[in-house]
Amino acid sequence: MMANKPHDPPRALLAFFRWYCDPAMLDYIEGDLKEIYSRRLKKSGKRTADILFVVDVLLLFRIGIIRSMEGINTLNNYGMIKSYFKIGWRNIIRSKGYSFLNISGLAIGLTAAMLILLWVQNETSFDRFHAKADRIYQLFSRDLDNGNLTAWGYTPALLAPELIQSYPDVEDAVRQRVVFFLLKAGQNRFNEMGAFTDPGFLRMFSFPTIHGNANALDDDAGIVLSRAMAIKLFGTLDCIGQTVQVNDNDNFKVTAVLEDMPQNTSFENFTFLLPWSYFTKLGWDENQTWSTTNTGTYVSLKDPNDAGAFDSKLNGLLRSHLGEADSGREVFSHPLTKLHLYSKSENGQLTGGRHETVTMFSLIAGLIVIMACINFINLSTARSEKRAREVGVRKIAGAYRSSLVTQFLVESTVLVVFAFVISLILVKLSLPVFNLALNASLTLEFFQVDFWLYVVAILLFTGIMAGAYPAFFLAAYQPIKTIKGTVRTVGSTFSPRKVLVVIQFTAAIVLCICAVIVHRQIQFAENRNVGYNPEDIHYEFMQGEIPNHFDAIKSELLASGAVTSVTRTFAPIVWPWGTKSGLSWQGSDDADKTLNFVEYGADADMSKTFDMQILEGRDLDIYLHPTDTAAVVLNESAVSAMRLSSPVGEFIRDGSGKNWQVVGVVKDFVIQSPYTNVSPMIIHGWQDRYGVLNYRFNSNKSNADNQRTVEGVFKKNNPEYPVESNSAEDYYQRKFATERQTGKLASVFAGLSILVSCLGLFGLASYLAESRTKEIGVRKVLGASSLRIVTMLSTSFIKLVVIAIVIASPLAWYFASNWLDSFEYRVPVGVGVFVLTGLVSLLIALATVSTQAMRATLADPVKSLRSE
Amino acid sequence: MKKYHLGEFEELVVLAIGILNNKAYSVTIKDEIEERTARTVSLGALHTALKRMEDKGYLKSFPGDSNDERGGRPKRYFEITALGKKAVQHSRDTRAEFWNAVPKTILQSTLAVR
Repeated sequence: MMANKPHDPPRALLAFFRWYCDPAMLDYIEGDLKEIYSRRLKKSGKRTADILFVVDVLLLFRIGIIRSMEGINTLNNYGMIKSYFKIGWRNIIRSKGYSFLNISGLAIGLTAAMLILLWVQNETSFDRFHAKADRIYQLFSRDLDNGNLTAWGYTPALLAPELIQSYPDVEDAVRQRVVFFLLKAGQNRFNEMGAFTDPGFLRMFSFPTIHGNANALDDDAGIVLSRAMAIKLFGTLDCIGQTVQVNDNDNFKVTAVLEDMPQNTSFENFTFLLPWSYFTKLGWDENQTWSTTNTGTYVSLKDPNDAGAFDSKLNGLLRSHLGEADSGREVFSHPLTKLHLYSKSENGQLTGGRHETVTMFSLIAGLIVIMACINFINLSTARSEKRAREVGVRKIAGAYRSSLVTQFLVESTVLVVFAFVISLILVKLSLPVFNLALNASLTLEFFQVDFWLYVVAILLFTGIMAGAYPAFFLAAYQPIKTIKGTVRTVGSTFSPRKVLVVIQFTAAIVLCICAVIVHRQIQFAENRNVGYNPEDIHYEFMQGEIPNHFDAIKSELLASGAVTSVTRTFAPIVWPWGTKSGLSWQGSDDADKTLNFVEYGADADMSKTFDMQILEGRDLDIYLHPTDTAAVVLNESAVSAMRLSSPVGEFIRDGSGKNWQVVGVVKDFVIQSPYTNVSPMIIHGWQDRYGVLNYRFNSNKSNADNQRTVEGVFKKNNPEYPVESNSAEDYYQRKFATERQTGKLASVFAGLSILVSCLGLFGLASYLAESRTKEIGVRKVLGASSLRIVTMLSTSFIKLVVIAIVIASPLAWYFASNWLDSFEYRVPVGVGVFVLTGLVSLLIALATVSTQAMRATLADPVKSLRSE
Repeated sequence: MKKYHLGEFEELVVLAIGILNNKAYSVTIKDEIEERTARTVSLGALHTALKRMEDKGYLKSFPGDSNDERGGRPKRYFEITALGKKAVQHSRDTRAEFWNAVPKTILQSTLAVR
């Protein structure tokens, strides 16, 4: 076209008008516009005419003149897309059975995937709610432990103050130390877990406050309570300024009330926070050295990019304070946001931990969705014969291939949306059970942008995954063949469909085998001989008057008949508090100094209270043998690690020159994780470090009676403190919680994957049986037995499942042994698991297929042959 | 009598078409109304009204000649259908009825208050 002629109206506006105007009226109105324009041009000049033209065009933009969405010769395919939806809907309605299989398979898959995604989302949200989350680091120590580099989350208590003083790039550094204290307000008293923290703690971490502010810990006489604790002590949240008596001795004023710790924080569930100055006042700060690591340290850096440089400065600082003995000790910073998922030390690097489980389950979620999509693909392509004629006619009528592809994609998306709505309902319904099983509090957040982003992503992914292959497959039909009816899809030996079935079952069987192995591992650890009998063992912490009245308590407990044995120890039998290295003995070398012993101690009757076995020598008894305060008992592992042939009578020295004589050897018992080997252990007869009073209930009396009697004794001798009666067995059981959770999740999703696979198999089998109705009829008429026909129909599928089992077994073995590698004490993976799981999945598949085969076989051949 | 609903503007359009008699297309209709009522008529309003009345069956249209001014686009001539005639007639009768019903004294300008 030429440039604007002098008498032409503005071209852009004319184009706009042409775009929106109803084509039926376009010519006339455009003519009118031009006529009026040229008249105005003559009368009042171009400028005015142009302006009025704009006004006219804008005023023409109104209902009645704008083209309708589906006019003739429109620019979009609205009408066609509408028809796709209509045809898609009719197809769903026409074959209800297959639609049901498709939709339910997809719905189950999506439900599983969404549940897992919710869980993953929760796992990755840990510690991210703090405003400064991206520049807070926890400091970790690293050193050799029994020859292996290990990292742990405790640092010297002296570190934080020095960092604040001498490092300008550190914004703040706070210490944190867990403590159990008796809190008292009026008649309400509770012995609960809290923490000492530096005043900056609440400024560094954004725990939401109900009353008070982040400066609450600046007051040396201030205490911060959690919501639960405030309610328990005062019955109200409005308790700022009220007095709480701590440790039976000191009064604190409430300066803030915090919301209860959110579930997605790595911190323990503190019910109160006390200022560090109180820790100092109690004298617990004395004798701190740079080699003692007993305090959690958190720093916030001014610039988070400095973390690397900061680490080297940290080590310089540490070096300048540490002696030769600790030359290997290092400190490094670990980002707060990675604390939850990467917390396990592997060769001194924090690379292990929960992220492995999270990755594993994300993969499982993906797998299950893929399996559901495979169902969809298989059923659509298998039944494509039914659609072949439609495709042929459409093509002859002039449909492009691309429009056919669009049509089938629209159909699959309709199904996916259906399935998705159902799965949303399923998720909503199953969430409470899921939460209960996982001990989590996941919610479906309908009103979050993130949620809908995920939804759209899932829908697109699934719709395309499921729809793409069938769409191209169907659209590729040649019209002549389909109209002539010569398309045959049944039969080829290496069809993609068979490959997909094999993939699907391989995935399902791998998941099942892994789930079984997880369960066997948990069982294996649960059934482990722990070397003592945790049943009936209870313990009290040495708090309040218990240390002073120990003799009275012990004799009263024994005299009451409720308790058969009492022993004081350094720590609970399920939870050791300390380790010791740097020991030497007759025949030890320098390398032995790094040997790390679990340090424990007992006064007397240890083997009786805990039901342990003394293998050599005798048990400690500081009452009968007063010299036992300088004696030790070793466990078997210690004896073999120390290479002692006759341990009893040997002397062991520590770095400071103290000497202990070995008086006995106790059979190995599990005091740490039930999944690790038993560490070497040294049990002292020292008197100054008792932390726990253990007692064994008299099993001849009922536990409730025992409990009541024991409570009476403690109430009398230690009236200020509530009686806890901690059960060693309960604590021991809790050590399995994480693995039990993994086991539960794994088995649920393995079950779902088998279910989804079987739905697909069921659909395929029923379709195959249906399409071979005539053949079966002929065979029956010619005298084939029912059994032969069922076998004939089933074998092709069973073959696929067998192939899947063969592929799945080594894969599963690989994954399972990888997982098992993280446990020192692990179940051997035998052939039995594979055979059993294989057989079971074969049986399930057989049952699925043969019902369909049976139905086809039992049908009356007369009926199937008569129809034509 | 919902049957013959004509808006005020629509009525003017129909009457203008009547006046123009065989020469009625949008531009002449617009000119006619503007001339007689001293108000501006936008093409948008006019075409909407024309289309609506054509849909209702009061008007019918046929394509006509063209000229250079119109850039070669045809005119579209309108004429009143029998139904359209009944509709304007009805509209007029209704008004007349109203006029007759109003007492003479009320509308005589000499007697009107102020």
